[in-house]
Amino acid sequence: MKEFKPLPDQPAPNDTIGPIPWIKENLFSSPANSIATLAIFAFFATVIPPLLDWLFISANWSGTTQAACTNENGACWVFVIAWSKQFFYGSYPIEEIWRINLCLIGLIAIIIASFKLPKDLRNKIAIPLFLMLPFISILILSGSWIGLEYVSTDYWGGFSLNVLLAAASIIVAFPLSFLWALGRRSDMPFVKSVSIILIEFFRGVPVLALFFMGSVMLPLFFPEGTNVDKLLRVWIVLTLFMSGYMAEVFRGGFQAVPKGQYEAADSLGLGFWQKTLLIILPQVIKISMPNILATFVMLFKNTTFLLIIGIFEMLSTTQTALTNSNWLGGHSTEGYLFVAVVFWICCFSMSMISSSIERKLDTSHRN
Amino acid sequence: MSEKPQVKSSPSFFNNPRNRSLIYQLLLLVGLAYFFYGIVSNTLANMEARGIKSGYDFLFTTAGFDILMSLIPYDATHTYGRTFVVGLLNTILVSTIGIILSTIVGFIMGVAHFSHNLLIRKLAVAYIETFRNIPLLLQIFFWYFAVLAALPSARQSMSIGEAIFLNVRGLYFPGLIAESGAGIVYGAIAAAIAGIFFLRRWAKKRQNDTGQQFPVFTASLGILFGLPLIALLVSGIPFVWDFPELKGFNFRGGVTVIPELMALALALTVYTGAFIAEAVRAGIQAVPHGQTEAARSIGLKESKIMKLIVVPQAMRVIVPLLNSEYQSLVKNSTLATAIGYPDLFTVFVGTTLNQTGQAIEIVFMTMAVYFVINMSISFVMNRFNASVELAERN
Repeated sequence: MKEFKPLPDQPAPNDTIGPIPWIKENLFSSPANSIATLAIFAFFATVIPPLLDWLFISANWSGTTQAACTNENGACWVFVIAWSKQFFYGSYPIEEIWRINLCLIGLIAIIIASFKLPKDLRNKIAIPLFLMLPFISILILSGSWIGLEYVSTDYWGGFSLNVLLAAASIIVAFPLSFLWALGRRSDMPFVKSVSIILIEFFRGVPVLALFFMGSVMLPLFFPEGTNVDKLLRVWIVLTLFMSGYMAEVFRGGFQAVPKGQYEAADSLGLGFWQKTLLIILPQVIKISMPNILATFVMLFKNTTFLLIIGIFEMLSTTQTALTNSNWLGGHSTEGYLFVAVVFWICCFSMSMISSSIERKLDTSHRN
Repeated sequence: MSEKPQVKSSPSFFNNPRNRSLIYQLLLLVGLAYFFYGIVSNTLANMEARGIKSGYDFLFTTAGFDILMSLIPYDATHTYGRTFVVGLLNTILVSTIGIILSTIVGFIMGVAHFSHNLLIRKLAVAYIETFRNIPLLLQIFFWYFAVLAALPSARQSMSIGEAIFLNVRGLYFPGLIAESGAGIVYGAIAAAIAGIFFLRRWAKKRQNDTGQQFPVFTASLGILFGLPLIALLVSGIPFVWDFPELKGFNFRGGVTVIPELMALALALTVYTGAFIAEAVRAGIQAVPHGQTEAARSIGLKESKIMKLIVVPQAMRVIVPLLNSEYQSLVKNSTLATAIGYPDLFTVFVGTTLNQTGQAIEIVFMTMAVYFVINMSISFVMNRFNASVELAERN
């Protein structure tokens, strides 16, 4: 029997490969497209050179005071460099900054560990540590209970505060929102209605109103004479706010778990909590991961709102720096650009991770 | 084979799911009751200690502070109740501007993502990814302190045809002042809108019955502009232009858009527009490619494919997302307080709360307002959603 041998592939026609047909296809496929392409090129040509000049070529890089910004036509990066410690660490004492770094490294290490460690260690070490982290961080940063020098929360600030506050809120919000989501799915009418009210309240009210509630109403709720730390109140508010959103994310995750999983768990004779924690929860977290990350990005961006109630996170540190009497040269563009770039890098990389997880989970055959 | 007598196995009291759920709910009820009892008694004690009188009487006392911008007549002699209305109207104003503009920007950028031109595609992606990932408050500050504050002073203002002026104090453009007889024109506009509504219904019915198409869009445009125009001519043009004029150091007359409003509306538009663009992109992507191919194979033009086949199907994904974006826009408009735009939050929770100290009443009222606004948005969008939803066979 003769073996079937296909003929070698014909090369693609010459007018469809190479750079010229590509340009024709992508940039000049129709008269309107050609005009748009030329207009965009003209726009770039007029905007980009002066921008690059302002950003890098004529920019002032070295020095420590405003006087070092001699070139009027360039950005004054000296401003950002001189204030960079404040931007990242707030007014935390310089010799104690290792404590902030320790907390940040711990946060990163635990996140990596919970993905990389073998399952046994993960369940026994990484997850409990993850849930304990906010409290450990507070011990380290405050320092008075573990024999370090006490640093009042008035001095905490900068970008590290944005990161730690967002992380601490989402970590505590995890179990809380999971309970709320469970409550919303519950058969018990009273539990269900309480959960719905909680979730819808924290989702429906502007987060700023919640912050104001935290700062003007919460003190009224505590017994007379109790003085609750400002940062602690903010943490409570952010956690509850985040829980409302996450509960809805989890609800979506619950709905996506096939009913057969519940029935299989029931038929094995597992109790409610065994079923929920061992069978359902892992699947819910896996399904909701992209949305959890998206919610976290929102929370992270919203930590800048703390400026309004006078907490020195990164943006309000920038505002303070801009009104400092030694730096009244109108450096707002530089300052805002720097903060924007820092936030952008963090949020963009998180949304990249989220969409890569989404693509991994997506098994539909689109296009 | 003899049947075994059935063993009646009743679970013990605590293992009965019904008893269990009752006990759990009772526990929750007791816990919540104790919690609220604690809060209420603490609050009452605290308020007594601070000498705060609860109640809504403060709404009828004189406010005594000025508000930067008001859509209704207001000065310092009006009551706190009126500051609430002024703030509420300003909130609604900026939210409406934001919702309309961000929808336009979002749809343009979302559709641009599917352009045949590579540069346009990349620009749309760059827009979405840049502005979605930068905190909104930062963007507001950028527009307010870096861009608008750098505009020229009133005497050197930028102008278009001596009618529209832009300077550091705001944007000025001519306003219309109605004179007697304007009622006819307003009536004509209302009649035009009603006419278009009935025309569309009639045209749709005719197309369903006979298959004949009617140029609804052109006819609607004709009615919308024609009727008021005729009314204008009939009533002898009962409007006069009110041009802004430089008097002393500032402009008088015309319509003024204060920089706070401009910065807030710009930032909300750009930020929410990026999210809406992303929603539109996701919606269009969710339409299976086969739909486009099928449309092409029955000979529809490229422009008609987008309008008749892809967008209506994409709307099923887009509308629920739009709903939540609009709601977050309204909630985000509270950031006005950071730059001093007098929205409900700045005026009421800011100044009024500071002056009266009625924390609970004011925060409660404000939250209720945002709830109501968001509920109404949700209601409208759900109605809209029902009209775009997949019509399945009954």
